Amino acid sequence: MISKEAIIRRLRERIPDAEVTLVDRTGTMDHYQVQIVSSIFQGQNRLDRQRLVYQALDEPMKDGRIHALEIKTYTPEEASMRHDQGESV
Amino acid sequence: MSDTLQKEVQKEVAEHKILIYGKGTKTMPMCGFTRETVDFFARYGYPFEVLDVLRNMEKRDYLSKLTNWPTLPKVFIGGEFYGDTDILDGMAKNGEMEPLLAKVFAPASS
Repeated sequence: MISKEAIIRRLRERIPDAEVTLVDRTGTMDHYQVQIVSSIFQGQNRLDRQRLVYQALDEPMKDGRIHALEIKTYTPEEASMRHDQGESV
Repeated sequence: MSDTLQKEVQKEVAEHKILIYGKGTKTMPMCGFTRETVDFFARYGYPFEVLDVLRNMEKRDYLSKLTNWPTLPKVFIGGEFYGDTDILDGMAKNGEMEPLLAKVFAPASS
């Protein structure tokens, strides 16, 4: 179990400009869905983007504070395109 | 030891065009994400295999190092690593999945 604030703090250490949206999927503070918008993802393929997020959260994932994590990553351009298409980001 | 694992994984990845290293089996997934991945590939109708590594910590460690990816399931398509459904869903949405699978399963031209 880990607070949203603690997750966001760790993400920002690695990805300073990260805009983070976190959803606690189960209400138990250990199954999260995270959406991150950052320019750091520019030119990175999907695998490398996820790897970066996993690295930022390596400790709470290894010690079990985060049990499950779904990750969605967008560059600011991709995020605004999704807005234009009426999808939530 | 990891030499044996390396050979084992190479053989498995070569044998199955869609391979999921996960928790549990195809009919009895032991983890929601493994189940999600099974459901994902069931939609496409191509044969796929699930190999249970839940209790094989040594193999899990090896696979994590190999792919630089910490979590299960781990999906290989046509011998390449593709992460998990976070990646696959995005590819499906962009229309990349169907052509990839069609290509991987196309009969080898002689």
